[in-house]
Amino acid sequence: MTNEYTTVGRPSSINPKITADSVSVYYGDKQAIQDVSLDIGANEVIAFIGPSGCGKSTFLRTINRMNDTIDICSVKGKMSLDGVNIYDPNVDPVELRARVGMVFQKPNPFPKSIYDNVAYGARIHGLADNRIELDEMVEKSLRSAGLWEEVKDRLHSPGIGLSGGQQQRLCIARTIAVNPEVILMDEPCSALDPIATAKIEELIAELSSNYTIVVVTHSMQQAARISNRTAYFHLGKLIEVDDTNTVFTSPGHKLTEDYITGRFG
Amino acid sequence: MKLDGHISQRFNQDLEDIRTQLLEMGGLVSSQITQAMEALETGDSALGESVEALDKEVNRLEVETDDLCTKILVKRQPAASDLRMVLAVSRIVRDLERMGDEATKIAQMGIRLAEEGASPIGYAECRSIAAGVQAMIANALDGFARYDSNVARDTIEMDQKVDEDYASALRSLMTYMMEDPRSIKRVMNIMWTLRSLERIGDHTTNICEQVIYLVDGVDERHSFS
Repeated sequence: MTNEYTTVGRPSSINPKITADSVSVYYGDKQAIQDVSLDIGANEVIAFIGPSGCGKSTFLRTINRMNDTIDICSVKGKMSLDGVNIYDPNVDPVELRARVGMVFQKPNPFPKSIYDNVAYGARIHGLADNRIELDEMVEKSLRSAGLWEEVKDRLHSPGIGLSGGQQQRLCIARTIAVNPEVILMDEPCSALDPIATAKIEELIAELSSNYTIVVVTHSMQQAARISNRTAYFHLGKLIEVDDTNTVFTSPGHKLTEDYITGRFG
Repeated sequence: MKLDGHISQRFNQDLEDIRTQLLEMGGLVSSQITQAMEALETGDSALGESVEALDKEVNRLEVETDDLCTKILVKRQPAASDLRMVLAVSRIVRDLERMGDEATKIAQMGIRLAEEGASPIGYAECRSIAAGVQAMIANALDGFARYDSNVARDTIEMDQKVDEDYASALRSLMTYMMEDPRSIKRVMNIMWTLRSLERIGDHTTNICEQVIYLVDGVDERHSFS
């Protein structure tokens, strides 16, 4: 994978929150991401689509250095959050991950109560001074995640006792609780039924007024419904990124067209 | 632009079906116009009935094709060129159906004119405009069949000539009516015929705009004048 390429469409943003500048990711000798340059605008919802193994999740995980946990993984190029390179040795990854939260494919609440799940991050980051503040923060986060009404009477029951959709919203509440600026979502609805999926999608729309949201999804309809821009990855390259409407009605690259029309295996 | 190559073979077939039905419908509308013009010139009422029978078939194809488009939307949630194909076909069949209605009107007008007795006034103008719109239709369907937006753009330009011929024919018929008020009723029927032909040209322009949308992905409706 040494051949050069140019991303089709509109990879830049007038108000970038995150800027990837020629980012490449390697797992040992194998290059998983090749020279990706992309701005993600403040309060933008951007969807990453592409076939399995195209690198969309790998790229997502470079945005909060989740790949640091994999020994053989190395990142080249520059990934900036508000203009600061997050791979700079002075950047503390724990603080970074508080600013750039993440929601995973399978809901993964801690084996704790609903309340403690949400309060956990605030406690370790010292975001609440006393119990009253913590209560308020838990309620606010659960409300933002659209879960408060459903759980307010059983805040001290275990989080894993909730339904899958509720667990995923609990994980979103847990992410919101530490006041992040960016939320990364790695196939957040793939384990959920259509109703729970619709609730998460509705939530993404509401959250986008306060957060920058990056969603990896296998559902092209979901990308079309929730995102402002859609990015198509193929074999580690960012082939095309453009307004979602443009990508789904008149994509600029044949590979994008083949993928979204179901012509690519 | 291509319809095939989907992982789902049935999706390929679904798209091929709407495309084939549209072309079939276009062929029927074109024969409707040919027969309607013949009915007008010969006063042959059997031909007039044949145009009406064809119109029933055109109407049926419109509903059937549109229904297939709806099913594709529901089942496949098409995107990109597939989506444009479904939307364009759904819009084009509506224009074709209206063209069929105009052809039927011309046939009915032909029978009425024949009943009133032979008179060649305005027939030459009708013939010339009909030839113009028939050429437009053939080109538009060709542009659709070959996914050629340049053909579609050229065809849209042809409509200007049709419009000019229409305006010029109206002027000469007006003069005729002023000179001979007894001819007004008859000339009005010719004018309605010309009007139908001109409308057919407009519908063909709409079809060409959909071909451009289908092939180039740009919406150029109302941008030609």
